[in-house]
Amino acid sequence: MSDTKTLLLELHCEEIPARFLSLLLNDFSHKIEDELESWFHTGDSANYGVRIGGFYSPRKLAWRIPDIPIIQTDQTETQPGPLQRLCVDEAGQATLQGQKFAEKWGVPFSEVRFETVAGKKEPCAVVTLTRQGRPTVELLAEALPRLIAGLHVPKAMRWGHSEFEFVRPIRNVLCLFGSDVVPFDVDGVKASHTTWGHRLYHLDHPAPIAVTAPEAYESALKAAGVVASFHERRADMEAQLHDLAKAVKGRVVADDELLSVLAEIVECPKVLRGEFPLSFLDLPKEVLVTSLKEHQKSFCVESEKGELLPFFLTAANRADDPKGFVQGGNEWVLKARLYDARFFFAEDQRHPLAERLESLKALTFQRELGSYFEKTERVEKLMAALAPELKLDAKEATEAARLAKADLRTLMVGEFPELQGVMGGEYLRREGAPEGVWKAVKEQYRPVGAEDDLPATALGCLLSMADKLDTVVGCFAVGLIPSGSKDPLALRRAGQGIVRILWERGWGVSPENLMILALGVVGGKATQPAPAILDALKGFFRDRVAYQLERAGYAPAVRRSALAAGWENLTDLKARCEALSAFAEDPRFGSLAQSAKRIGNILKDESPAAAFDEAVLAQPEEQALAAHLNTLECAADHASRLAALANVALPLEAFFNAVMVKCEDATLRAARLSLLHRLQKAFLRMADFSQWQ
Amino acid sequence: MHVQELILRLQRYWADRGCLVGQPYDIEKGAGTMNPLTFFGALGPKPWNVGYVEPSRRPGDGRYGENPFRLYKHHQFQVILKPSPAKVQEMYIESLEAMGIDLRQHDLRFEEDNWESPTLGAWGVGWQVVLDGMEITQFTYFQQVAGLDCRPVSAELTYGIERICMFLTGIDNIFDLTWGDVKTDQGVFPVKYGEVRHREEFELSAYSFEHANLDLHWMLFTEYEKEGWRMVKDHGHFLSAYDQALKMSHTFNVLDARGAVSTTERPGIIKRVRDLASACARAYLEHETQKTSAENTQEVGR
Repeated sequence: MSDTKTLLLELHCEEIPARFLSLLLNDFSHKIEDELESWFHTGDSANYGVRIGGFYSPRKLAWRIPDIPIIQTDQTETQPGPLQRLCVDEAGQATLQGQKFAEKWGVPFSEVRFETVAGKKEPCAVVTLTRQGRPTVELLAEALPRLIAGLHVPKAMRWGHSEFEFVRPIRNVLCLFGSDVVPFDVDGVKASHTTWGHRLYHLDHPAPIAVTAPEAYESALKAAGVVASFHERRADMEAQLHDLAKAVKGRVVADDELLSVLAEIVECPKVLRGEFPLSFLDLPKEVLVTSLKEHQKSFCVESEKGELLPFFLTAANRADDPKGFVQGGNEWVLKARLYDARFFFAEDQRHPLAERLESLKALTFQRELGSYFEKTERVEKLMAALAPELKLDAKEATEAARLAKADLRTLMVGEFPELQGVMGGEYLRREGAPEGVWKAVKEQYRPVGAEDDLPATALGCLLSMADKLDTVVGCFAVGLIPSGSKDPLALRRAGQGIVRILWERGWGVSPENLMILALGVVGGKATQPAPAILDALKGFFRDRVAYQLERAGYAPAVRRSALAAGWENLTDLKARCEALSAFAEDPRFGSLAQSAKRIGNILKDESPAAAFDEAVLAQPEEQALAAHLNTLECAADHASRLAALANVALPLEAFFNAVMVKCEDATLRAARLSLLHRLQKAFLRMADFSQWQ
Repeated sequence: MHVQELILRLQRYWADRGCLVGQPYDIEKGAGTMNPLTFFGALGPKPWNVGYVEPSRRPGDGRYGENPFRLYKHHQFQVILKPSPAKVQEMYIESLEAMGIDLRQHDLRFEEDNWESPTLGAWGVGWQVVLDGMEITQFTYFQQVAGLDCRPVSAELTYGIERICMFLTGIDNIFDLTWGDVKTDQGVFPVKYGEVRHREEFELSAYSFEHANLDLHWMLFTEYEKEGWRMVKDHGHFLSAYDQALKMSHTFNVLDARGAVSTTERPGIIKRVRDLASACARAYLEHETQKTSAENTQEVGR
């Protein structure tokens, strides 16, 4: 192994948006990996990935890569040229073309060899060139500015006079290979061995800090008030959060996302605790948690019992708070925010929620589908139709639908859109609405994502489903159909929510009937012909159901064959998947799959009758099969049906080996076809076995 | 710290750093960016540094003077630096020190906040500057104004005067801030912000939420628009036309505060303002180009 050195590159910028930090870090890591591989051909570019140390903070993106050879090994490459007979004349002398080829590559003609080259029938001229390996530092100086400029920046900007684009202005570049500076510049900023520490540090130290070697990076930054590693900052802050909450006999209302954001917006990890006046605890918990998180990037603290305490925890970008100004300032601002929230909360409750229904007429849901008032009317109709079927109180169901969207007109939801539903439910609870109603309104948007829980109550699930159903079917009806990566209205998520509710609640309502019902309610607003809408919807929901099966963890063969046999009842589909999964390893299913395909082929152009005369069947194999059919058709549940299916595999094989289905005798032939047809139908009650493999 | 002292210090600070001290523009507007000193100043290649106070009216934020933190009309101190200097963050931080903020005692952060003004067809990227948890400044690198790329890029700093003053004094009701001292032969009389502005807040809130004549405002919106297009199209006058765009914008805000604009109509109405403002911007640039080429011709002639 030749000599190696470590590369350190740091881009010091004006504050980079937290959400782009890890994206940019990883993008450059991949680019430099590929570049190094193209220089050193280790055949193992991922190896660099393992070794790359990545650092980021609000003002820094940095990479450290050890074990890079200091010089490239010499590179040889072979260049093919014209055919030999074109390069050399009969006397063995170089032709003009031969000389030109040698000149092109800068070698005397004597170095030109003639060899067989892949793809050519005759020997060709060939030269082998040796390029001397170049010092890595030179390669880096050429490549780094190009790689930096080529970084994918999601929201790029320009600054000053320059046309250079980056995420935020680059103000300093630190780049060392071993202890040597790699000489290059990025948009006029020259790479050096110095950088800048925390702003507070530089109030007293006007000069930049020197980094003597790549390994000294973290310690040099730490001395200047910056913790380079995001993970170190995050872990440190997590511990502080815990301790500060514990000190007031509470625990942090955990939020991993918020913790990461806090660790991304500071260079020096410090958590501080502040207090707010007790009286604000009258506000609903959701309001406090949302207001603290969205406005002030703060955590709430709760007691063992889950009740909020009048404390908050947030980050400061400095090690201490000598005069308490930072804590005081944060408390002051939070008080102002909560004062606003309390104002909204009180203002909103001056009028019953229902008084806002009229104003929903002026709030557009979607241009062609009309206002939220119209959406509300549609969801009410859906609820009225579906509640009896699911044995839910129809009066409560329509009441919940009627009031569901009224909170969109409250001040609180205007301020915190993420509290829609929650506020409606809270206000209704305080107005004394029936528990079923306010709980349903409160949770109507759940599940919000794939990991979110369903509404806790059945009525909540129904409201969520009806609302989503109207959205999906309505949008399809006016031609807003998601395609590829385009799904601006998040219809796939809504569709998935509907499927999850049916699936997890065990509701056997047919998705197709739901679509037809909702399309009827959308009525004249539809701009597309109904059959086309239903076709598109069926494809859409089938994909959602397929995804649900995948999420549930069934094997691909089980998913394919069970789904192909129908999904008009998800509860039944679930039971079939469960039963099939229990038998998935049974080798007889392989044989069944073969036979199922064969049956399909035989019946392709036939239309056999359902009934046949068993007495006509002549051969023992077909008589045996008919007996099995009988057992299969009489099976009461999926488990016994499946056992019967497994048992039919071998008799079926025997049948095909011995019996010629399409025989001359018309009566016999008709009976055999009917037998197979009935078998196929019995199979399909369970699964389409032709899809098993 | 008094309100007027804060403004004076900012003016002094930025004047010392090579900015013209501008004046508020005498037409109602929602933000300091709408002042022609910024709107036209940020366009084109000419270097341009200016700082000024701008009273900013947001009818929807009116609270009848009852909310201690919100106002119908607040004051911005607006700075434009074109091209954006390499040390613009440092200059900004020094301005905080000039206002009396000792950074050794406070927590300062620049958090992503990208600014956009659909009525002006303008957007930029930058931060909200957060001091001890409170947003005190909007800091933006203009990328486009009137739909035109900014070359060079300007840095825009927008300080919230009332907020900063509350922060510096620890007073948690805007109306309790001191505007300044009135000195007479009879003695010194400190004047509260509320004494200067409280009645105005009440009346303006009542006007925009209750009394404004909506039919009149819809009519005015359309008439301002016609007048603006007449000036810029028929006469190439971009300043008088831009005044009309500003009036359209404020008229729209009044209507919007009353909920008279439906969500569907909104984008279309905003676009009507933007179209006029953009036409003004193009007429301005054309005018500047002609002026420059005329000057160059004279130069050659000499």
